[in-house]
Amino acid sequence: MFEFAIAGIQAPIFLLMITGFTVGIVGGFIGVGGGYMVTPALIVFGFPGYMASGIDIMHIAGKSVVATVRHRQLGNIDWILGLAMVGGTMMGVEMGVRILNWTKALGLSAIALLTGSVVIMLGLFIYTQIETRRAHKRIDEISEAGVTVGRELKATRFSDFWQSIKIYPIVRCHVARIIISLWVIVFVGVCTGVLAGFFGVGGGFIRVPALVYVIGATTHIAVGTDLLEIVVSAGYGGLRHFMSGNVDMVAVFWMILGAMVGAQFGSIATAFVRGPAIRYILAYSLGLAVVGAFFRLIYLLTGQQYMFLNLFAVVFTLGEMLFLCLFIGSLVLFAVQYRRGKWVPAWIPALVVKED
Amino acid sequence: MKFIVNSMLGYWLVLLLFSCIVAGVVFWIWLKDVMV
Repeated sequence: MFEFAIAGIQAPIFLLMITGFTVGIVGGFIGVGGGYMVTPALIVFGFPGYMASGIDIMHIAGKSVVATVRHRQLGNIDWILGLAMVGGTMMGVEMGVRILNWTKALGLSAIALLTGSVVIMLGLFIYTQIETRRAHKRIDEISEAGVTVGRELKATRFSDFWQSIKIYPIVRCHVARIIISLWVIVFVGVCTGVLAGFFGVGGGFIRVPALVYVIGATTHIAVGTDLLEIVVSAGYGGLRHFMSGNVDMVAVFWMILGAMVGAQFGSIATAFVRGPAIRYILAYSLGLAVVGAFFRLIYLLTGQQYMFLNLFAVVFTLGEMLFLCLFIGSLVLFAVQYRRGKWVPAWIPALVVKED
Repeated sequence: MKFIVNSMLGYWLVLLLFSCIVAGVVFWIWLKDVMV
């Protein structure tokens, strides 16, 4: 146990490092900050709620720098797309926070907020899961017909509509290989930013699907570009929290120590898989987060009487982090086995890339 | 074992169960250490 003077508590360094490591792997792989998994874990370790948020967002900023550098080396960042979205997102977050303050003044409860975030995550989970299963089947069918499939097939036609909007200036995103109006990128950034600011989350789990299904970027580009955006937004958020005294930098240090290594693994793992594999992991993380949040909601709605509900929510959240890391590790392991011509499960060939 | 791994849903469920058990055990050990 280590004495964290600023937070005023004692907490195990080992668990902080493991938490940072596991969330680093997941965040580097699916392009999220992981706050919806880390903040409850930090509260369980004994950190006060406001400090858990501050430590979390500060560690996300540091981890995202490492993951962004790695994704840049893998060619997964579209700078035009990323930087255009940053402006819109920062505006959106500020609007979201103000809307939240206004609704709180009108009497909106924490329970209503939690319910709202559960509904959004559930909707995203259902849509992403259905679309990814469809893409998985299509890749299987195309491969069986003897056609070589690349890293990604087009996810939906919804992005065609947004790309067809001709409001100047229209930009050519070279890496993402799309031509789209800058205002569409900013608009999507504002919308995702408002949701993120309102629900108090980083927004990666909203922005990655938005980049894939609305803008039309491939999943790998969406992940890398979103991590670039998180560096800026989490960096700013971390600075604000630090100025408000919500950050214990020693705790951040131990978490980043684990997260730096984890983010490397997660980012490199994307090179072994196709887009649908990343979207599966994103969908699972959303679905499992909904289950954990649901139990927490029931616990709050029953007047915090049944402690086992809260404990179950905590164990499930920690188990979810481990599950996602193990699944990502399995995908890489099966990809390597597939390349060597060894046996792999029937659902693997469509999800992994055979050659570099 | 191959039968379970060959099904994506089966693999998913087994992995999730294993992860929750490990998380539960680690959490219980830590809780025992922390509780007075």
